[in-house]
Amino acid sequence: MTDDRQSLDSLLPLVYQELRRLAASYLRREKPGQTLQPTALVNEAYLRLLKDRPDRWQNRAHFCAIAAHSMRQILIERARARGAQKRGGARARVTLDEALVAGGDRSIDLVALDEALERLAKLDPDQARLVELRFFGGLTVEETADTMDISPATVKRHWTIARAWLARELEGLAPQ
Amino acid sequence: MTPERWKQVNDLFHAALDRPAPERRVFLQQAAGQDLELLREVDTLLAAHGSSDSFLEIPAWGVAPELMFDRQETTLAGRTIGSYRVLDEIGRGGMGIVYAAEDTRLGRQVALKALPPNYLSEQAGRERLRREARAAASLTHPGIATVYALEDIEGELYITSELVRGQTLRDELANGPLPPDRLLATLLDIADALAAAHAQGIVHRDLKPENIMRAANGHVKILDFGLARSIEPGERSTMTQLTKAGTAVGTPGYMAPEQLSGGPVDARSDVFAFGVLAAELATGEHPFGPDSAAMLRRMTQLMEGKALSTAGAWSAPHLEHVARRCMRAEPAERYPSGMELLAALRDAPGVVTPIQPASPQAALWWWQFHQGAIALALAAMPATAWAIRPMIGAPAGSRIFFVALVLATISITARMNLIFTSRVHPASLGHQRSLVFPWVAWADAALAVTMIVAALALNDRDAAAGLLITLSTVILASIILIEPATTRAAGIDSANRGPLESRRPG
Repeated sequence: MTDDRQSLDSLLPLVYQELRRLAASYLRREKPGQTLQPTALVNEAYLRLLKDRPDRWQNRAHFCAIAAHSMRQILIERARARGAQKRGGARARVTLDEALVAGGDRSIDLVALDEALERLAKLDPDQARLVELRFFGGLTVEETADTMDISPATVKRHWTIARAWLARELEGLAPQ
Repeated sequence: MTPERWKQVNDLFHAALDRPAPERRVFLQQAAGQDLELLREVDTLLAAHGSSDSFLEIPAWGVAPELMFDRQETTLAGRTIGSYRVLDEIGRGGMGIVYAAEDTRLGRQVALKALPPNYLSEQAGRERLRREARAAASLTHPGIATVYALEDIEGELYITSELVRGQTLRDELANGPLPPDRLLATLLDIADALAAAHAQGIVHRDLKPENIMRAANGHVKILDFGLARSIEPGERSTMTQLTKAGTAVGTPGYMAPEQLSGGPVDARSDVFAFGVLAAELATGEHPFGPDSAAMLRRMTQLMEGKALSTAGAWSAPHLEHVARRCMRAEPAERYPSGMELLAALRDAPGVVTPIQPASPQAALWWWQFHQGAIALALAAMPATAWAIRPMIGAPAGSRIFFVALVLATISITARMNLIFTSRVHPASLGHQRSLVFPWVAWADAALAVTMIVAALALNDRDAAAGLLITLSTVILASIILIEPATTRAAGIDSANRGPLESRRPG
């Protein structure tokens, strides 16, 4: 674990740089075009992770989990920093680009989402991990299934209720 | 809520979801029974499910792209930094923003690279920048955008370099593969630049279409030697430390396996990137495949040391084998550096490159010798015509003599003028020759034809006729075959260039 962590630290900037490019294309509302897809980034990062450890070829799942978790940490740290910068320390609500989401006047408070994910992890660690892989790691249902070694159907079931639960938490509609 | 309770909620939620929407309410009430809290829990989750259509379906970086950027990436355009007047932004890369700026001290335009503030707060980043600037500034080559200075202005570091405006090869690739002649010229330019850098022990480390720009003169320049590092043995340890400190270098898809795996990087890693680049320019597609899945597969093969099978059809098949050798997984199997790569490109069958003489001066001497020898042969023509005049007869013999005299005088005068130019003002020789050569060619051809006609008119004088035909043949062969060869060998072309200035291939 410690070894993986160190290797990952050295390759994260690379992944991050690619993600920035990807994000830039989102910002310009262009199609990503030649840019690598997030999955590929994670995969590329994985290749780098394996640099000193050819014996660990099969441990893709482990890597995806670490990469997604690191992305989560990076983004949440930044979201917090932005929130702290604003007057009165109010949290930045990140506006979701409407061009990207059909019918969506939605925004996601990433910091609140992060806290809700922590609560979800206490109820069902697998569901929290799954959300991390999909939302912060950019994995598809199938890739998530591979990584977690469960069936795609199970991923979909977990995803459906975890999303509903998180949406309810973020809307402040939770019972009690 | 406890995990056990959550499991219960989960089961009921999915059981309800499996039923048609109108039946859910009744089903829930029956299933929950007296447990009103459970009922309310599942009920609100179903409601949230119904209204959460696209929630979380876009990954975090798509939802919050601005979080991916550094906070203070505001443009410097219009501002004055030190003695630089920033004109406009010309590009953004992983390492910072590049502007066109005017150096007011020297009155010239430069490219100004500013690094993101957070990058500069790290001592390692500053140190690395100093080293990269030092290495890059030692490179001067027509195929490399020259680094001018490393400026420390009010605590911020900037690199200024030669401003190259034009299209990058990435832009050109948008129109598909390069046509074969352009492809070859481009690859020779790049290989020539790499050879020069490698000869000084400097590797680029991030060669890719985005980093190569075609300037107004049609030649390409490699940009952003910012990632180049000096490969002196003593620097190895520092280099590794910097890499470990988190300054990942390179671009996936162009990185050699040893670069991907964090091993020692040398000129052969550039050779690998060159191979990928060559394949992409030749076929219009990245050789690892059109999508990320294919790319991952190829990279995995590479990491495992397997040979690559490149995708796409080559517009110039003879270059394919050079590119393939560049892309070998094992560094020792590639060309050792840009020098060998350049030689291999020039040796590829079908490649028309300037013939490289032992020295430009020697080639020029042969060219002058050729001009002198032909002038002598030409001078022999009117002399011979004078000698055979009685044999042909009065009116015809005289006419042939006068025609030969005029044509030979034109050609000899022009050639003497060229020899004079080559000795006194070699820089304008190419231009001068392109002006004069059509006259020379026509005069020579007309003279040769005239003398062959004269030879045919000499019925029974075989010796004189043989001499005339031989001289005429020599002059014709010279104008068609020998003259172009010696001229090319001496590096004389029509673009206002003399022999010494046109050493660059392509």
